[in-house]
Parts: sequence; structure tokens; C-alpha cells
Amino acid sequence: MNKTLLGIAAAALVASASAAHAQDVLRIGTEGAYPPWNATDASGALIGFEIELGLALCAEMGRTCEFVAQDWDGMIPALLNGRYDMIMAGMSITEERSETITFSNGYATTPAHFAAHPDSPHVDIDSHDDVMAALDGAVIGVQVGTIHQNFITDHLPNAELRFYDSQDQLNLDLVAGRIDAGLADITAWLDLNEDEGSEAAVTFGQPMTGVDFEVFGAGVGVGMRHEDTELHDEVNAALAVLHENGTMQAIAEEWFGFDAALAQPDS
Amino acid sequence: MDLLSFGDTGWGDNMLRGAGVTILLAVGSYLFGIIVGMGAAAMKLSHSLLLRTIAAIYTTVVRGVPELLVIYLLFYGSAPLIIDLASLFGYTGYFEIPPFLAGLVAVGLISGAYSTEVLRGAMQVIPAGQIEAGQSIGLSKRQVFFRIKLPQLWRFALPGLGNVWQLTLKDTALVSVISLAELMRVSRVAGDSEREPFVFYMAAGVLYLIMTTFSQAIFQRSEKAASRGVRRA
Repeated sequence: MNKTLLGIAAAALVASASAAHAQDVLRIGTEGAYPPWNATDASGALIGFEIELGLALCAEMGRTCEFVAQDWDGMIPALLNGRYDMIMAGMSITEERSETITFSNGYATTPAHFAAHPDSPHVDIDSHDDVMAALDGAVIGVQVGTIHQNFITDHLPNAELRFYDSQDQLNLDLVAGRIDAGLADITAWLDLNEDEGSEAAVTFGQPMTGVDFEVFGAGVGVGMRHEDTELHDEVNAALAVLHENGTMQAIAEEWFGFDAALAQPDS
Repeated sequence: MDLLSFGDTGWGDNMLRGAGVTILLAVGSYLFGIIVGMGAAAMKLSHSLLLRTIAAIYTTVVRGVPELLVIYLLFYGSAPLIIDLASLFGYTGYFEIPPFLAGLVAVGLISGAYSTEVLRGAMQVIPAGQIEAGQSIGLSKRQVFFRIKLPQLWRFALPGLGNVWQLTLKDTALVSVISLAELMRVSRVAGDSEREPFVFYMAAGVLYLIMTTFSQAIFQRSEKAASRGVRRA
């Protein structure tokens, strides 16, 4: 008799718990210290590309969301033990991380871009194929151990590579005209021009991402627990809609100054 | 310098609030540590092998592994445990110890392990003759502790405890990894968000120095007060 009562009580509790779950607030973990992806303003509020994208994503999914600030070091452990349900923290999709968590399709990336000295004959080249033809056998600077180095090795085997330990050293040689071109993250060239207050480096050709060149990786995605399979589908579907209607690109343009949004695969 | 101004446009108020959390956390953990340390020191000096062993394991483990590890274990290790416990009672969902409390317990346990050794040393300095004298005039164990041991304990323990305080104050910075908005975390978030890490880390350094210098002065005064009545050689 007592056991039956307990059973009924337990069943009722479970039922009420799962009913509550459907309207549960979806929690998103972010670092709040990695502009322009996510940052904190002086009033203490979270701002940035991922904050706006996250809110748009939740609106699209019809869920209520709240952001949780989490130090980068504990980002994945805190997801796994349930402090929040999604990570949006400028986290690149990698094989190693995919063993522990499941990523959505990539939603953004900072593309790689060629740049050269303003006097270089290359700076007027627009199409990717022309760039590749012009740079065949050229002297190209890259930071050592980067995906940019891998790209040159794979796609421009005749180029003469110059390796630099840091982007600053690469910038110095580019500005001094010691290399024909440099390949780096587009933000590196934007930063350089901002520091110099002028067009110290001119980007040419097209921005390159993992969509066209596998070597650049799958970009930054939403991190989720393996077992939340329903959420994986919901997020991917919502991301596709946000790219389809241009919301994602508009937010990216606002925070990065260029379209960092990644095209979504057809679902 | 606009970055460090007060109000919604600058980080001055956020930094001061962070420093406030640091002080609260440090004072709380330090006091908690002294209570734990008193207990553990008494256990180390007790006749029971079991108590001595428990205290020895505590100080050896906590002083022997990195402080950061203790904090990680307490914060990330305890959350699943609590969730499991809660689900036994039919409560499902996420539950965590408030970061401030978790930080206080973690830093307090670390601080306590160091205080234990300081207090144990101080307890042993009190000459056995004084205690025997107390017993011979019929004082109870309690009275011996509160009237003979404790007043002198502070005199011997204060220099060491001052050291532990400095360690504890700086250890609070480790709690930034569990995202508690203390001074270190605020400076990192501000520095990275504004892309001016140097400005904010410098400001934090100055604030830490003010706190340690000021508290050192307090400890010097209390050492003097505890040694009153003892002739200087």
C-alpha cells in the first residue's frame, strides 16, 4: 500500500518535472572577454556578436534564454555538469573538442585573406583564380604553424614561404615590401591598418573560409552536450533560418565590420 | 584613464566592487580557515590515533596538491554530486553551490591547512609546567584552555598567521576560474573586453598592494598588543 502511494507520488513528481522542463529557460554559457565575439561593457552587461546571435537564435526556436558568464578554462566542464545547455564563446569546432561535446553547424568564422603592400601589383586582383595564378612562385609570408601555412603548402606548392613567429614580425616585412604577399586572418589586417592609421596592407582576392577550403576548419559553432540530440536539431534548424533571412549576416556585419557569418548547409 | 572612471562608462566601480568581493572572500575564508585550523591542530595533538591520522591526511593532501585543483574539485566535483542527491528527492534540473560559498569553502580549506601547522606549533610552545600549575590549583580542562593556553597562543601564532593571511588574500584570485566576480576576474574581463589588459592588471596590482600593506599594518599592531606584558629582550 505504502509502496503504491510512493510510486504514484514519484510518478507525479517526474511528470511535473518533465512538464516544467519544456518551458525551461535555455542557458547559454559565454566568456564575456573575447571581443567582438563576446565581451562585457563597463556597466557589466554582456555584449557582442554571439550575445545578439544567441538571442536571435532563441527567438527563432521559441525559447527563453539567459546568458551565463563563465571563465574560458571551465567552459566545457561547466556545460557537461549542467551549469548551462549551450556554449557560444567563439569556440572553434575541432575534432578534439567534438569527442567531448557536440557542435552545431558553424555559424561564423573570421576568413583568411591575402594582403600586400599598397604599391604591389597584386592589390587590384579580385577573383580567387587570378590570385592563385599571380601568386604562383611568389614570396608569401605566414605565421608559422597556422592553418594559413597549411593552405599555402596545399594550394600554392611553388610559392616561397617565409615563416614568422608572430603576426607583428610578418607585418613589418609586409610594410617594408620584403614579401610579395601575406596570408592571415582578416582581423589581423584590419588591426594592422587600425594601428597604423592608414592602409598599410591592402587585402586582395576573396575572403577564404572552411566552406570552400577544408583546411580552414569548420568555424565557430554552438557547443552542446552529446545527449541533447533534440536541441542539436533545433539549433541547426534555427541557424539555417537566421542565415536564410539575413539576420546572421547583419549581426556579423555590425560586430566584425565584415560578413563573418557562415553559410548553413541545406537541411 | 577614462577606462577606470566610475559609472556606466568606466570600470572603476566594477573594479572596486571586485576588490570588495575579494576582501569579503579573504576575510571569510581566513576565519573559516582558523576555525578549521584550531580543530585540526587540536586533533594533531590529541591522543587518539584516528584523529591524528585524519588531521594528517587533511594537511598533507591540501598542502600537497595545487590550490587550483582543490577549487576545481570542490566546484565541478560537487555539482554532479548535489544534482544526484537532489534527484533522489525528485528534484531534477541544475543546481549548484553559489560560487561565493564554494570559493569560501575552497580557499578556507586551503588556508586552514596552513593555519593548522602554525597553531599546532604555537600550542606546543606553551610550557607544560604552566598547564600542570593550572591543574594543580583545580582548573578544569576548559579553564586551562581558555585562561592559560588561548591568551598565549595568539602571541606565538600571530606572526605565522599573518603570513597565512597574505597567502589567503592572494589565493582568492584563483576563485576567478569559477567565474566569481572578484578583483582578478573583473580585471581580466575588463582588460580583454577593452583590449587594454595592462591598464587593468596594473590597477588590480595596486589594489592588491593596498590591501596587503594595510592588513600588514593591522597584524603588526595586533602582534604588539598580544605581546604586551612580555619584556623585550
